[in-house]
Amino acid sequence: MLEVKGLSKHFGGITAVSNCSFTVERGSITGLIGPNGAGKTTAFNCISRTMTPSSGEVWLDGARIDTLRPHQITAQGLSRTFQISRNLADMTVLENVICQSKIRGWRDLFRPAMSKEEIDKACGILDFLGITRIAHEDGSNLSYGQKKLMDLAALLMSDPKIILLDEPAGGVSPTLLEEIIGHIRKLNEKGLTVLIVEHNMDLIMRLSHRIVVMAQGQVIAEGEPAEIQEDPAVLEAYLGGAVEEAA
Amino acid sequence: MTSLDTNEVITARKAYYAGLAGEADKGRSVWFPIAVLALLLALPALQFTGNYNYLIHLVLFTASYVVMASGWNILGGFAGYISLGHNVFFAIGGYFAGMIFARYGISTIILAPLAGLVAAVFGYVIGLITLRVRGPSFIISSLALVMIFKILFDNWDFVGGSNGLSLPANDLPVQWAKLPYYYAFVVMAAFTVWASYRIRHSKFGLGLRAISKDEIKSESAGINTRFYKVLAFAISAFFVGMAGAVWGEYLTYIRPNIFLIILVSVNMVLMCILGGKGTVAGPVIGAILLVVFNEFFVATLGASEINIFATGMIMMLCLMFFPLGIVGTLARLKKLPRILNWD
Repeated sequence: MLEVKGLSKHFGGITAVSNCSFTVERGSITGLIGPNGAGKTTAFNCISRTMTPSSGEVWLDGARIDTLRPHQITAQGLSRTFQISRNLADMTVLENVICQSKIRGWRDLFRPAMSKEEIDKACGILDFLGITRIAHEDGSNLSYGQKKLMDLAALLMSDPKIILLDEPAGGVSPTLLEEIIGHIRKLNEKGLTVLIVEHNMDLIMRLSHRIVVMAQGQVIAEGEPAEIQEDPAVLEAYLGGAVEEAA
Repeated sequence: MTSLDTNEVITARKAYYAGLAGEADKGRSVWFPIAVLALLLALPALQFTGNYNYLIHLVLFTASYVVMASGWNILGGFAGYISLGHNVFFAIGGYFAGMIFARYGISTIILAPLAGLVAAVFGYVIGLITLRVRGPSFIISSLALVMIFKILFDNWDFVGGSNGLSLPANDLPVQWAKLPYYYAFVVMAAFTVWASYRIRHSKFGLGLRAISKDEIKSESAGINTRFYKVLAFAISAFFVGMAGAVWGEYLTYIRPNIFLIILVSVNMVLMCILGGKGTVAGPVIGAILLVVFNEFFVATLGASEINIFATGMIMMLCLMFFPLGIVGTLARLKKLPRILNWD
């Protein structure tokens, strides 16, 4: 469904992502892991066009999307969250969520900010995530975990086909972690394709159908969780420094 | 059974949200701005009892700044792009309507919407170029715009160069002479406030607010941020241009030094900041306060440097106690008097 072909990104002389290729199957949960600085978030940013890739192609459902602008990619059905939750301060959670509504166009000038249908839909999503009670809170007054849930809610508002989650469990409590895992699983069962970047191995191993491992900007392994845990290249990447020091 | 329960939950929730929306509507005052407008429309009747030209002039002057500050607020307040170059559109509107008035005798009051559209087209094109940068770079680019247009108008002989052009005055008796412009500005001010209310409550307004908070997030949320920003620039240029059109004829003179001095755009910004940028009532309150302060200190301290100093001190004190502007801060503290809640 999502195909990344030879994606590269250079920052001056530094190569953050080099010739990275992988695919995400329809209806699967794919985990993208790697040590710090492996280029996972940069790859994410290049896929969602928050950054312009230096070279390479990204295809979504047979259509090339790396030439589009970010809002067009969202309209194509690829939505993302950010590693550090980006929420819109001074706007209520409901407004934050409805901002991501799919209804767009030049007629926006004459449409009400939040139509009845949109409010109903947003409330349904908030209900699903169990955060209805904070619907009228200011987006900046939320706890870290609530912000993550709000991001997820906003994501669902745009009716995506595939969602890219950048560390959905970063800095949240273990209880909420279970909750988020449950939500992702339920969404996946409804047919949503998911690509996750995460440092929490527990979450990745339990959720993912397939795992892509990146190190130093390159994909070094791809496979099922059990295979990845045994893969020598992956162990090398994660423990490499320690092994060399011991030797 | 379960479906019934869910339905009950949904009904209860709908009632809850309807209640919340109703509260927001109840907190808003619609009658007050309408009452003020009615009062202002009736005000010239005072001319029957004596000469109130000074009062008329002050209201007219304030109304012109309400139009400009509210227009500026659409870009600077809603979208968060501080522009110090909006007097360029004031000049474009003024020169466009003024030139047609001078050559063909069509009143600028009729031409004002057209002048606004011309300013909006300029705003759209300029926005396409300057809105690629944000923050301090955008402010500097807007200042550069003023300089470019100042040089252009100073040296363009067709529109009178730096000497400008004098326009014919109307031939009404002195106590009625200001009234056409007075009504034009009051109506324009009412229209601008109404339009900025509508924009704030539209999907476009929600998008602009999102852009002012986090542009990357808004773009990835599916908002065409570039189009939104440029459109906001064009709309705000429209209102400023409209004000400029009538202002030229009112002064019976168009000259670069009237339109393209930094004081005009600084006033727009200060009024919005004083009243509360990003609110509907803010620019109106700011314009009234700033004009009143200025006049009061000129009357009591004379037109020297001291009056400017006093106005500055008042501004500073206001912003120390109302950092988000008067309307903005009071709304945040939930102490906004209902008559000022126009959002």
